[in-house]
Amino acid sequence: MLISAAEAVLAVRGLETGYGKLAVVHGVDLTVGAGEVVALLGPNGAGKTTLLRAISGLLPWTGHVQLGERNLRDVGPREAVRAGLSHVIEGHRVFTQLSVTDNLLLAGYDLPRGERAARIEEALAFFPEIAAKRNDRGSALSGGQQQMLAVAQGLVRHPRLLMLDEPSAGLSPVLVDRVLDVVTRLRRQGTAVLLVEQLVEKSLAVADRVYALAQGRIVLEGRTDEADLPDRLQHAYFGH
Amino acid sequence: MLTSILAAGLAVGAVYALIGVTYNTMYSASRVMSFTAGQLGMLGGVLGSLFVLRLGLPLIVGFVLMLACCAVIGIVTEIVAVRPVLKSLDQHLYVLSTLALALMIQQVTAIEWSTEPQPFPRLFGIGTGTFDEKFWLPVAACAATIVGLEMLYRHTLVGRAFLAIAEDNFAARALGLPERRLRIASFALAGIVGGLAGFSGGELLLAFFANGPLLNFYGFVPVALGGLGNNRGAVIGGFALGVFQQAANFLVGGIFSSVAVFILFIIVLLAAPQGLLGTTPARRV
Amino acid sequence: MPNAVAEAQADDRVRMGAAWTPILPFLVVFGLAAAVPQVTNDYWVLIATRAAIYWLLVAALNLIVGFAGQLAIGYVALLTLGAYTASVLAAGNVLPPLPAFAALACAGVAGALFGVVVGLPALRLRTFYFAISTLGFATIVTQVALAWQSVTGGGIGLPGPELPSPFNTPSGFFYLCLALAGACTWMTANIAHGRFGRALIAVRDADVAAEAIGISKARLLVTVFLFSGAVAAIAGGLFATLQTYITPDAFTFDLSILFFISILIGGRGSIIGPMLGTIILTLLPEFAAPLAAWSTFLYAVLLLLIVLVAPGGIAALIDFRSRKPLAADRAVVPRPALLDHVLSHHGPTGDVRTGNRLQRPISLRQVVLSFGGVRALDGLDLNIAPGAVHGLIGPNGSGKTTALNVISGYYRPEHGRVTLGDELLGAASPVTRAAHGIARTFQTPRIVGEASVLQNVMMGGTIQGRATFVESLLSLPRHRADERTLRIAAQFALRTVGLERLGNVRADRLQHSELRFMEIARALMLRPAFLLLDQPAAGLSADEIARLGDLIREIGRHGTGVLLVEHHADMIFDICDQVTVLNLGRVLAQGTPAEIRVHKEVVSAYLGG
Repeated sequence: MLISAAEAVLAVRGLETGYGKLAVVHGVDLTVGAGEVVALLGPNGAGKTTLLRAISGLLPWTGHVQLGERNLRDVGPREAVRAGLSHVIEGHRVFTQLSVTDNLLLAGYDLPRGERAARIEEALAFFPEIAAKRNDRGSALSGGQQQMLAVAQGLVRHPRLLMLDEPSAGLSPVLVDRVLDVVTRLRRQGTAVLLVEQLVEKSLAVADRVYALAQGRIVLEGRTDEADLPDRLQHAYFGH
Repeated sequence: MLTSILAAGLAVGAVYALIGVTYNTMYSASRVMSFTAGQLGMLGGVLGSLFVLRLGLPLIVGFVLMLACCAVIGIVTEIVAVRPVLKSLDQHLYVLSTLALALMIQQVTAIEWSTEPQPFPRLFGIGTGTFDEKFWLPVAACAATIVGLEMLYRHTLVGRAFLAIAEDNFAARALGLPERRLRIASFALAGIVGGLAGFSGGELLLAFFANGPLLNFYGFVPVALGGLGNNRGAVIGGFALGVFQQAANFLVGGIFSSVAVFILFIIVLLAAPQGLLGTTPARRV
Repeated sequence: MPNAVAEAQADDRVRMGAAWTPILPFLVVFGLAAAVPQVTNDYWVLIATRAAIYWLLVAALNLIVGFAGQLAIGYVALLTLGAYTASVLAAGNVLPPLPAFAALACAGVAGALFGVVVGLPALRLRTFYFAISTLGFATIVTQVALAWQSVTGGGIGLPGPELPSPFNTPSGFFYLCLALAGACTWMTANIAHGRFGRALIAVRDADVAAEAIGISKARLLVTVFLFSGAVAAIAGGLFATLQTYITPDAFTFDLSILFFISILIGGRGSIIGPMLGTIILTLLPEFAAPLAAWSTFLYAVLLLLIVLVAPGGIAALIDFRSRKPLAADRAVVPRPALLDHVLSHHGPTGDVRTGNRLQRPISLRQVVLSFGGVRALDGLDLNIAPGAVHGLIGPNGSGKTTALNVISGYYRPEHGRVTLGDELLGAASPVTRAAHGIARTFQTPRIVGEASVLQNVMMGGTIQGRATFVESLLSLPRHRADERTLRIAAQFALRTVGLERLGNVRADRLQHSELRFMEIARALMLRPAFLLLDQPAAGLSADEIARLGDLIREIGRHGTGVLLVEHHADMIFDICDQVTVLNLGRVLAQGTPAEIRVHKEVVSAYLGG
């Protein structure tokens, strides 16, 4: 089932990007519909992180990227956030010198003061474990809690599209489930999610559609309820 | 004797500490160390003397005007000497660009102001002997700055944003923080701290263009000792340096005291290149 | 391969024939300079002498700032030291008065030692810290000159050394200085264009790769500091003679800035550039007298403009060769057949041998390494046999690149050993690997952008050179033989990887895939017993990956043990003899590609679950 451009929260066409001379992504087409959870899978070095960074404006790119009706050409990360795109980068990089509340305050930097406090509470409602630690410094949190804080940061602005880059990295299975639970809740309330992951089975369980990226190109696209998907994925990962 | 060494040492040490904070503030915002830090200190004294003494402006007006000028110099540093070289692959160009800018400031001052030390106005006329205002004004300024910065970082959103940018620039960008604007604001803040250092130390160091390179070096020693980006270390290092320098002055005379300071600086740095309170650098490979 | 040998030697002859072109500008400048006393008056001869003395110092400083990349802003300290040492010894304030030339020689010795002292912090300190420390030295030396009144005359100063006839006339003295400047130019050019010069810029621009090549930064820099310090101090002694009378305020910070800026205006890595820069900056105040007071300000403006607009300086602006357009659709086509020549050499009995005569394997035994609290390697056992291609794969964070970095000596394991046969490989000492015949490439190519492709590859063979620094300085036969051998070997290596047509092109103009092959050519210069490749296929097209695979397979067949860390599963399964799969810092599976591909645990590790 194709998502038409009009309904899509994110429409990417022919995206090419890389680091200086090194071209990593070679013409990617991708769509995320409103309220959809889309998983982006692929082996290491495929370019998944690079792709996300281009979409959110952290890297220069060529091609076409549209968030709803807004064209993201020449738009930096700050404008992208304002337009409704939240990018939770890989590595649960929160500000360890600042408290949990401060981290969330910064996530709402451009929000009017009155709204900020309310949005922070809403974000914390997803993660009661860190709500209990709201005055603790980032360095006092465990890796899993830092990851939850990072996702909470992404939620403060009520984004239309939340991009998560390998939220499971370094987390115990219990915490991974915790984070992916949140993704399911987000889908229910209408937030679209683009989930980059290494854990194939768990991602397929929570997503509606899936793309596989290998060597900078999309090699697979499908719905998660298709029967032959696991086999096709293995092929995509291991080449022939 | 001891009290006068202590008084002079803490006073000049406070000026050094504040220049160290200037270096740190610029570094935190951009990962760049700038030769203009010492020049800002020099301008604090020179502009203070220019506005208050030569032009006869009221003290508070001259003070604010001086701070504004120094803030502008800080911003100019970012625009001219820092931002263009951040994009370049050669990571050490900032040493040259900030050196060039610092020299330009220094030369203009030498030519337009004077090559001789000029008097600095007596600000309040309080105290005599070891409690003369020229000794405790810098210390008061240093304390006020530290408290002010603490309040800025802990209780304002902008201050917290400064800390975020300093800790993880990339994550701050990804979060949507206005990184460029914050960096410019940081450099303006650094300018203000440097100007304050020079103004409060004006009665001690006079309005002299050669204070620029002097403060560049002696303001850097606390940073080297205390660790880059570490304001607490800079303050401790600054006071320690000031007292050490005055004691050496008293014991072996002015010229050899600078030799003593330098030897101490080199030995400490070679033993602990990241500073005594500093952190280890990131992985190279 | 007689054809290839003949071609390489023909290339060499062409190069020698063209050797006169770079010398021409120098001949012109020195020719014009020699004419100065004949066509002008004493005043201009003095100016020209000053320029020659400054150039003497700048030529030496150029090796430190331009080539080694150490920002010694306060180098005027050496000039001061040399001037005072020569003057004090000639005047007899401490010892009985020495003849002027002896005093100059002693100044040179003092300068060599002091040059090492000033330069040593460069080995430990970051750039800015080192720059400030040299400023400190400059201040200290001046302060000591001021304070030590009994010896130096304090603020009053003392007369400079008087030279015997015929050097005590303006033109006589000028020709002496010109001759010394010319000799120094020749010597520094020999260093710059030879093995040591390339090693210096490797340390400057690619210090991590320089270690892998076997270049010892400390030994190299100390040698340069010794030489440059001696020359700078001699320049100081001559300066004292020129001034006839020196006081501490003759050695201002402005002078230091002038020397420093001359090099940057001239351009790093060049000799002619800084020479022109020095001449321009020395002569400028003469032609713009009203601006004399503003001269330092203008130098600073010039420095800022150079940094912002033309960081390569004059040298980059006049480098027309590097602007010649390159063909747009270049393909890299390696010639694995040439590996015979590149990897083999003749053993003691005349038989052809590869680098690993003893056929020892590299072994890791129970290696443990953590970063922060995370165990990157958790008891790793690995065995790399010579003469085979060994693939190392695994999901993100499995420790592949970390393992490679431990083998190549960049990380010290907390537990466990890395051995070559029975010999323990030292931890945290990457510089020792090259001597053992272990070469590597890097995840992102670490090369010297400003140097040509050929020079970059020649850097790979640095430790094979046998000429000493002095032999290079004076271009003695062993130095020239070294250069010839290295050049021919590098040309072979370039032919082997298929980049021979880009030999004279600046490396930063190459495409990413070409840089990867260039790194391999550089590694082959060591005739390595082991070649460690860190994701060499990243960013390569399918064709290029296939050719790379062929090349790697041939390298393995020639007896070199190859460790291939990669993400491209196809490539691994195609060319490897053995594959080790890592997960979470330990070995998950080990075997032939066919075994690994169907190994259940491997599949599930990659796909998660």
